[in-house]
Amino acid sequence: MKSKPPATEDRYGRRADIKYSLYLLKLNPVVLVGFIISIVSIILALISPILVNPSSWHLQNLDLRLCWNNPAFNWGIGGVFDCTGRIYPLGTDQYGRSLSEMMVLAIPIDLEIALEVVLSAVVIGVLFGSIAAYVGGTIDELILRITDIFLAVPGILLAIVMIVVMGRSLFVLTLAVLITWWPFYVRLVRSQVLGEKEKPYVERLRAMGAGRTRILFVHVVPNSIYPVLVQATLDIGSVILTVSALTFIGLTPSPLLPELGNLANQGIQYIFTAPWLILFPGLTILIISLGFNLLGDGIRDILDPRLRR
Amino acid sequence: MKLYEYIIRRLALMVFVLFTLSLLIFYLTRGLLPPSTALAPYISPRIGDAGKLSLARALGVATSTCPSFQDFASETNGCIVPLWGQYYGWLVNVLTGNWGYTLLPGIAGTANTWDIFFSRFAFTAELSICAAILTIIIGIPMGIVSATHNNKLPDHVSRIISLGGYSVPQFWFGAMLQILFVLYLRVNGAGLFDATGALSITCGICFHNPGEITTYSGMPILDAALSFNFPYFWDSVIAVTLPAVTLAITSIGALTRIVRSSMMEVLRQDYILLARSKGLKGRVVIYRHALRNAILPAVTVSGLLVAYLLGGAVIVEIVFSWPGVGNASLAAANVLDINFLELYVLVTALIIVVTNLVVDVLYSIIDPRIRL
Amino acid sequence: MRKVGSEGETILAVNDLKVIFHTYAGDVKALDGVELFVRKGEVLGLVGESGCGKSVTALAIVGLLPPNAEIVSGKAVLDGTDLLGMGEEKLRLTRLKDVAIVFQDPMTYLNPVLTIGLQITEIVASQPDLFIPELIKNRLDEISTIEKAKGELVPKLQVEREKLRAKSQTNRLGNEELTRLTRLYATSILKSVRLPEPEKVFKMYPFELSGGMRQRAMIAMALIRRPKLLLADEITTALDVTVQAQALQLLQQLKEVIDTSVLLITHDLAVVAEVCDRVAVMYAGNVVEVADVKELFRNPMHPYTQGLLASVPRVDLVAEQKSIQGSVPDLMFPPSGCRFHPRCPRVFEKCPVAKPTLIEVSPGHLVSCFLFGG
Repeated sequence: MKSKPPATEDRYGRRADIKYSLYLLKLNPVVLVGFIISIVSIILALISPILVNPSSWHLQNLDLRLCWNNPAFNWGIGGVFDCTGRIYPLGTDQYGRSLSEMMVLAIPIDLEIALEVVLSAVVIGVLFGSIAAYVGGTIDELILRITDIFLAVPGILLAIVMIVVMGRSLFVLTLAVLITWWPFYVRLVRSQVLGEKEKPYVERLRAMGAGRTRILFVHVVPNSIYPVLVQATLDIGSVILTVSALTFIGLTPSPLLPELGNLANQGIQYIFTAPWLILFPGLTILIISLGFNLLGDGIRDILDPRLRR
Repeated sequence: MKLYEYIIRRLALMVFVLFTLSLLIFYLTRGLLPPSTALAPYISPRIGDAGKLSLARALGVATSTCPSFQDFASETNGCIVPLWGQYYGWLVNVLTGNWGYTLLPGIAGTANTWDIFFSRFAFTAELSICAAILTIIIGIPMGIVSATHNNKLPDHVSRIISLGGYSVPQFWFGAMLQILFVLYLRVNGAGLFDATGALSITCGICFHNPGEITTYSGMPILDAALSFNFPYFWDSVIAVTLPAVTLAITSIGALTRIVRSSMMEVLRQDYILLARSKGLKGRVVIYRHALRNAILPAVTVSGLLVAYLLGGAVIVEIVFSWPGVGNASLAAANVLDINFLELYVLVTALIIVVTNLVVDVLYSIIDPRIRL
Repeated sequence: MRKVGSEGETILAVNDLKVIFHTYAGDVKALDGVELFVRKGEVLGLVGESGCGKSVTALAIVGLLPPNAEIVSGKAVLDGTDLLGMGEEKLRLTRLKDVAIVFQDPMTYLNPVLTIGLQITEIVASQPDLFIPELIKNRLDEISTIEKAKGELVPKLQVEREKLRAKSQTNRLGNEELTRLTRLYATSILKSVRLPEPEKVFKMYPFELSGGMRQRAMIAMALIRRPKLLLADEITTALDVTVQAQALQLLQQLKEVIDTSVLLITHDLAVVAEVCDRVAVMYAGNVVEVADVKELFRNPMHPYTQGLLASVPRVDLVAEQKSIQGSVPDLMFPPSGCRFHPRCPRVFEKCPVAKPTLIEVSPGHLVSCFLFGG
């Protein structure tokens, strides 16, 4: 074959990296799907107050409860009540509210909690994990033992007790999930920093007289942060799963709260008479969590320096 | 250090962890709310004030010098035992074997916390063990196949299953399985599975009078097998299927992904090339050379999986009305039944810590480069 | 004295081997029609710079190229059969018994979680019936050695000898017997590669051995098969100079004993001068010159070979060390015609236009260059 060799900039350096990343992306089209889903959920969360009146979840309309009038699908179970008036694309729940509207209101709530938990966990993890790894000694032991304690309990139980004791509010919910999540990040950051601090450049920085704090936070941490970010992306999905599980077993501030797990909980009593009530909220949780998992996986596959040739 | 030294060190650590945990749970349940809430699990409307006071004293919350229940409720006249005192009293009771009584539903007759807990625990154990078995026999082979057939059809299928399993909300998955098998797939006019708990089963392919078994362990499947009662055994297996699959689905997803990625990494190594160049059969290369190296991250993660299975059991038990501890723990938490909660947390923590210890020892056996 | 077979006895003949690697950025034309042959009993050196395709040639011969490699054309005929046309199972058996390859870095090429002993015995266990005669013979030799040393045999050993002699007729062994004999055979191989305390080494893991010992263990894994052809891919590169010398010495000694032919791949001319009978020089995917070792050093014909030899620092000459101008070509976009022409000091009009072929310029000395015809 003919062709001139491409210019040097195209073979090495930044442009080549980007080209290679795009090539890997082509091999892994599912990543794009994940990316799209994540972006769509975030956008939906942001514009949700525009689509649906945010206070409409308080309104109950018991005439319209548990009905399904979407002509596109027939459930095949007897006794499904037909609603009058406008089409409810996903039926109504037992308070007569449109399920689709409630779900649109629920997405920002879930995403917000997930982001809060994950970001806080990352910050705590970076702070304590890097100090533990870098300073070592008694502080390291202490921090490790504390994480040991929290890792020995199944998180759900700790969260349940906390919520019962401290009250059922979204704040406590967020706090409870955070308490079960942070030990992983401390451990993760710690192991990354442990590996990173042995690298030659750290010694060089010390020889140049840089202070420990500066070395740690300006140099070591940014170089160790990459797997933490991947894990954080994956965890957004996992946190949503945990939060919805907790609200599903009843630990919500109000049974009317538009939150995906809570909607499913309200629906489970009607599982055989109005299955859409649990089907769609759960499906949404699945899709959102799938989106973030795909995205996190994709970031890892494409950016992990060990996997790139 | 030697193996037994290491184990002893870890066990000492475990005692420390359990002790601190019990403190933490105690503080959460007794320390944050007014002392009268401690009576909540045991109170019924019939108990008068005098009864409530003696109950408070028995629970170690009220001092013996407390004049009346009103004083106790308003926390005056030196009626309240300080938190440390309460803990000490509780600890003494517990260490002498007195775990108190609970109003939680139990199995046949007793209200003793210890008995109720462990009779229910057998069900949770059965569920978790079945889920763990499923995870291992599905997760590991699927991960291996995925890695060896990288980017071909088996890989894509397994990635979809594992990613799906990892992303699915367990309560929803359980509910969907119930809809599918109870509502839509029917055998002999009845749902293939029944939505209720372990002991009452009415389905087309089940036996209707399974007969009696002797209780060895409390776990239906095991006891039925040991009693040679096949109908009961079969019914128990059917009953545990849906809950176990639901519980396992997330950990199958996680395990498959880990095995896949670590297998892929190992298969790229030079020593695999050498093994092939020696003329060894393909299966030998994969199972003896590759797997033994690739399994290490999976073993590490198994410790976490145990924690996950025990925790996830709570949700699954609720969805399937499975009579295990997880189910009861929600009710216990709602009334802050401290004995039940403490027992639950401590038993679970014990299992998790011991599992982690076993995993670490196992790790050092598999990889000769690791010295404890 | 090196025993080299006469002209007609070739153990390996590679013809027109072309290999392309399909990568994300394009196709790398790694091998562009490699021609070489190895005579029975000789050591053929294959030299060239890094990246010229030496290892690729070796891997292509045994069928162990990575999945993105494509053998576009060519033949590799080992003792009559074309390896490149073989089915997978036959190829596996060939790797087991006929062709052995020893790799460069023993740290990464030995499985860290398996003992040395296992990594050797599993070869035999893979297809025991191919090895049974060897196992029996080895044990009988051992018993004879004991007999010679002690003058007579303990009854137990006498019985064993009789049984073994009987078994060698049927060529079948029981499982326990097989394991025991395999272990003994492996241990004796470890001894023959001069590993101290072979019984101990048998139970050790790779990380417990030094670099030189690991390399010998790898050689042992090759020799236990008594292959017809041994491919040694840069086996001395990862070793210290003193250890290098030992490894090469070992190779020579073993070659005599086992009567195998060796294709020694290296970039180090000193090694070639030390050990090889003939040399083939490779550049950018082609063999450019082949000659007896003395002849090549005395009379290099191809401009690349001349450049290569001139760039080796010499103690006895005052001449300046010269390097070959230019750099190794990018094989995704190789030069047209003769791949060396952009760097050749004696290039002329024909060079970029057509590709030269190997021609015998003087007996046993082949060159691929238009300066000599071709």
